[in-house]
Amino acid sequence: MRALVVILALAAAPAHAQFNLRDLNINKMFDTAKKVVTATSDIAEPEEINIGHDMAARLLGAAPLVNDPALQRYVNNVGRWLASQSERPNLPWQFGVLDAPEVNAFAVPGGTVFVTKGLAQHMQSEAQLAGVLAHEISHVLRKHHLKAIQKSAQTSLAGDALQQAIKDPSGLARDKLISLGSELYTRGLDKSDEFEADRLGVVIAARGGYDSYGLPAVLQTLQAMNAQDSALAMMFKTHPSPTDRLGALSERMQPVLDQYATQPQLPERFASETKKLR
Amino acid sequence: MKAAAFFLAFVSLAAFAEPAAVVRPSPLMSEPATDATKVADLPANAAVDARERRGGWRQVRTASGQEGWVKILALRYGGSAKGGDSGITQAVNVARTGSSGTQVTTGVRGLDDEKIVNAQPNPAELKKMEGFAVPAPASAEFAQRGKLQAQTVSYPK
Repeated sequence: MRALVVILALAAAPAHAQFNLRDLNINKMFDTAKKVVTATSDIAEPEEINIGHDMAARLLGAAPLVNDPALQRYVNNVGRWLASQSERPNLPWQFGVLDAPEVNAFAVPGGTVFVTKGLAQHMQSEAQLAGVLAHEISHVLRKHHLKAIQKSAQTSLAGDALQQAIKDPSGLARDKLISLGSELYTRGLDKSDEFEADRLGVVIAARGGYDSYGLPAVLQTLQAMNAQDSALAMMFKTHPSPTDRLGALSERMQPVLDQYATQPQLPERFASETKKLR
Repeated sequence: MKAAAFFLAFVSLAAFAEPAAVVRPSPLMSEPATDATKVADLPANAAVDARERRGGWRQVRTASGQEGWVKILALRYGGSAKGGDSGITQAVNVARTGSSGTQVTTGVRGLDDEKIVNAQPNPAELKKMEGFAVPAPASAEFAQRGKLQAQTVSYPK
């Protein structure tokens, strides 16, 4: 989208393009703009799903699922219902609770979402779980991770190698691509992607019929925790602060938050389905 | 275990009154509504006890005893009483070193940078995860059991 704006701006300014030097610069910029356009559109959905599965397998190698099939199915019910309210309802959505004490959640391209046991233990209702899952679902909808992986791959994998990495799951280049993807979870996305996922997450949870304050409530819980707590280290390093996220939601989302604030929170169902975590 | 204790402490706090502070200057209203009478203007950082929630509002009591309602997002909780460390660092360090100096798998599994970057794929666990996936129609029944009603809501501009 931004690239398109650049192209339009350039097209609208031909009168100034009379010097050779400037022509060259403009051509170069035009080229770059075109490349950005192809880069974000050349991974087809089946490839996105395959890459996501490879990344999910890596994350599961770092922490396995909590051994509680009923809990895992419960989280899938909440997540699948929310995903059905999104613009990509037909992805192979799957949700999992990772057996790790850290407080975190991860979205993987193609429709896989993880929350950690440590985060689930700090939630008090199904609406809060829905708020977190809806935030992660929004990352998948907007392809935040996929675009970031492509961007970092372009500097380390030459054109052909990148194409091979995307299309051939068994090649060496694929391994490199998935490693770049894993690293992304330790570095984090652009802050603007996180703020966008918060706004969209509030909307998707409200679409699902949940109390719209689920995600803000979780952010307020994180805000009240000791920022030096080691369980929060990675989450805080890779996300804007809870205070900034709450401030941004209050600025942009107050009307939606207020309109859907009395929808169900379902604290009892959440407590009964997650009782083995406590 | 510590996390569980924290959770229980948190729940019991929420059920009664929670110490909180106002994050920005905010009106204290007589009812949970923007067109209610204003009781007072609370300055930023004013300490309050937060009680019942109604919609986007929370009932509070100020240090001077005034009662009323403020918007939920005008509050931050915890006051000065910050929680301690969940004890993960210590536990993980013990697990890492062990007596042999190599990593031993005790109950604590950390998910830090190093663990993620060095992870080997676990396709068996992925297969297991796929087995827990729920088809869309089943999740719609689940939503119905919770009396959740789908709404049409647009993204903000």
